Amino acid sequence: METKTHGTNVSDEESVTSEYLTFTLGSEEYAIDILKVQEIRGYEPPTLIANAPPFIKGVINLRGIIVPIVDLRIKFQLGKVEYTPFTVVIILNVAGRVIGVVVDSVSDVISLSSGQIRAAPDFSGTFDTKYIVGLASVEARMLIITDIERLMTSADMELIDRNVD
Amino acid sequence: MAIDMSQFYQVFFEESAEHLAAMEGLLLNLDVENPDSEQLNAIFRAAHSIKGSAGTFGFTDLAETTHILENLLDRIRKHELALTAGMVDAFLASGDCLRDMLEGHQGRGGADPAVVETICQRLRQLSSGIAQPVVTATVEGGLTSAVAADDEVAVKPSLPTNGLHVFDIQFLPTEIATQGVGVNNLLDELAGMGRLDVLQRPQSSGSGFWELRLITDVAREVFADQIDFVADNGAWRITEDTSVEVDGTTAFGFFGDMPGVPDSVRGYGFFNGEPLPSPSMAEEGDGYGFFEPLPVSPLSVSSDEGDGYGFFEPLPSPVTIPPLTPPVMAEEGDGYGFFAPLPTPAVTPPVSAPMPVAAPVAVPAVVESAPAPAKATAPARAAPTAAAASDSSIRVSIDKVDQLINLVGELVITQAMLLQTVSQLEAQAPERLSNGLAQLERNTRDLQESVMSIRMMPISFVFSRFPRVVRDLSSKLGKQVELKTSGETTELDKSLIERITDPLTHLIRNSLDHGVELPEKRQAAGKNPTGTITLKAYHQGGNIVIEVGDDGAGLHRDRILSKARERGLQISDQMTDQEVFNLIFEAGFSTAEQVTDVSGRGVGMDVVRRNIQSMGGRVEIESMAGVGTRMTVRLPLTLAILDGMSVAVGEQTYILPLSYVIESLQPQRGDIKTLSNQARLIQVRGEYLPVVVLHEVFGLKSSWNDLTQGIMVVLDADGTKAALFVDALVGQHQVVIKSLEANYRKVPGISGATIMGDGHVALILDVSAIAGMARSTMQKAG
Repeated sequence: METKTHGTNVSDEESVTSEYLTFTLGSEEYAIDILKVQEIRGYEPPTLIANAPPFIKGVINLRGIIVPIVDLRIKFQLGKVEYTPFTVVIILNVAGRVIGVVVDSVSDVISLSSGQIRAAPDFSGTFDTKYIVGLASVEARMLIITDIERLMTSADMELIDRNVD
Repeated sequence: MAIDMSQFYQVFFEESAEHLAAMEGLLLNLDVENPDSEQLNAIFRAAHSIKGSAGTFGFTDLAETTHILENLLDRIRKHELALTAGMVDAFLASGDCLRDMLEGHQGRGGADPAVVETICQRLRQLSSGIAQPVVTATVEGGLTSAVAADDEVAVKPSLPTNGLHVFDIQFLPTEIATQGVGVNNLLDELAGMGRLDVLQRPQSSGSGFWELRLITDVAREVFADQIDFVADNGAWRITEDTSVEVDGTTAFGFFGDMPGVPDSVRGYGFFNGEPLPSPSMAEEGDGYGFFEPLPVSPLSVSSDEGDGYGFFEPLPSPVTIPPLTPPVMAEEGDGYGFFAPLPTPAVTPPVSAPMPVAAPVAVPAVVESAPAPAKATAPARAAPTAAAASDSSIRVSIDKVDQLINLVGELVITQAMLLQTVSQLEAQAPERLSNGLAQLERNTRDLQESVMSIRMMPISFVFSRFPRVVRDLSSKLGKQVELKTSGETTELDKSLIERITDPLTHLIRNSLDHGVELPEKRQAAGKNPTGTITLKAYHQGGNIVIEVGDDGAGLHRDRILSKARERGLQISDQMTDQEVFNLIFEAGFSTAEQVTDVSGRGVGMDVVRRNIQSMGGRVEIESMAGVGTRMTVRLPLTLAILDGMSVAVGEQTYILPLSYVIESLQPQRGDIKTLSNQARLIQVRGEYLPVVVLHEVFGLKSSWNDLTQGIMVVLDADGTKAALFVDALVGQHQVVIKSLEANYRKVPGISGATIMGDGHVALILDVSAIAGMARSTMQKAG
């Protein structure tokens, strides 16, 4: 990393901060680039899509646009899958598409400088590390910084026709 | 007035830039071989509008250049000159040059005078007859011998010999007339009567003395009243100048007897500081070979001068030239006479011998020094056509229209939601609320209709290209074919127009190649040797129907069957004609014995069907051997709205496009049979139809355990019938089609989505795919 070799750059890079929206899935806390977030809304029962994978809950009408809803808890087998009036849907705007994701709860918006983000160790799990930008520690919390765009457009999510890619 | 004008400059700049852009676009699309007169007119109008407003605002350089451009365009559009690629290039170049000038007037950069000169010269060369800048002042074509009037100065004195009168008009307009449009209107009027020269006009914008010369065949009484209207009684005078009748010398008289008119205003001004304009121009003309492409009229040949200078050349009109013959020699004199005040021996060169001593700068120099007349006529000419030039349509990006359609769609949904809420209140709803909502419903429906109609275009946009296709192809194939079209005004969605073109072209080529026989064959069969292809469009229900018919050989059932057998398709001799004919839509299927470059490779008909299906339409074939074939394409009116039937399956609601629904019925126990204990069939009116059980296909839970409790909807997709089992019928709606793929991906069995009155999403079923599922279960079972 360049920051290690050039002392002046450390402060430069550290002062470049981005804002992240953090949310929880089970006991894990994730952070995504806030610029990818269009809005946050309550869960409403979507219209089922036939023969879709279970984590694709269906589609909803978001002011005239048809938006697919993905339940990340089902996809990553995290947390209790239940739908209450407090279940939140984060509407994302990624790759020119509008996609809703169901999470356990939305925590807050935090600023992180690139210096605070550490590379994630390689591990195998349900959540492929290629979607993880890094890890950040904030007040004893560990945040998993996620490349949500890459995740959502990946073949794993089955949200996009393969030939579209 | 100049100060007042300046506030409109910006508008002028914008408008002119638009006109230039439009002109350029049109020029680029122009078919040089076969220019569309409508396009030529549009280009002409654009140039004309620029010239008109440039003149009004006093941008004489713009006005002049456009004027030259316009003259050439005018002649092309009147078919006096043929359009060449070189002309288009010159037009484009002059467009660039005008743009530079505009920039210059806006204080950014500017046009290089040398470039302007070169372009003006090029344009003038192209129109060649118009070799003199004075044309700018005299080109008004209201004369009976308009062609002659289009010519330049040298002809001028000869005009009166055609029984025209020359009037000198002097007047002092009233204040009101000066400030208003009175004077301009008068100039327009006079210009419309004949050739109008402004000899003197007030220097400033205020009122002042005007002196005009009008050459016309109209009696003075006709325009005297109009002048009277503009000027106070006694403040005007019309004198008929009879001296002009003579000839040659009058040219001098013309300029000479105007006492008090400063030289710069008169024609003399042109030549100030330009001692040899006439010969140099002629030489230059020769050198450039002005006249080669022009048919030389023998009459004008006799007058070498006319030839040499090309003054009369491009006028192929035999009508006007003969009367001119006697004065032709005189004209020679005139032409020189015109320049006579210049004491130079070069004024009378041996005309028959072209002198290739080119002095290219001379011509533009003349242009530059002749701003006065151009200024005078430009506004006069602009006004009458201004109204015609204003377009009755505006260009709007399709995105904006789509956005509008989407918003209206939203409005319709919101309105439906409100209506539903109120209807639940029933009697408790105040009457005024219900009335208001009823009103709102009507208004939204009207709004939706008119918004949808924005995208509608007449199908003539597509049809208009087929005469050409038929002509080219029939001559290539040695067939005689007549194309008959009807219903060109039928409107359909623009996106459909774009997408239907290719399939229709293919169908027509197919009819031409395979349908219509060769003339000998037709005659032998007792038919008219000229075959007929009919292209018909009309509305039927919520569909638009396009028929492509021919009176050719028709399809051969047996040949199709044997070909299908060769290809190993599943067929039987019991198949109906309809089913047999539909085989030609299979990929790679062709019955043509010979592959031509037109058709016969078997690629195409399957593509045609696929394209039409992707538009939500279908194609049918009717054919009778020896009599002809008719292909019928049915398309939805628009891609955005669909007449649908909503059906319930478990807790979900789906929309079935109504156009596919034949009937629905509640099955009786005995109606449903099984095949190999797998596929289910239902007997409907003596026909066994495969059953598609929607909740099984989609993995849902039905409210019923037994098929007899639900509803069977009989569907017809591309000739394949199937019965779809659903829980219940809910209702019939017009739904706005939303793409599922915009944010998600394609789902098998689903063609799109829509938003229901309660704000929920309902998916639209893809009937063709569902019918396909029925077929595949049948095949598995079979």
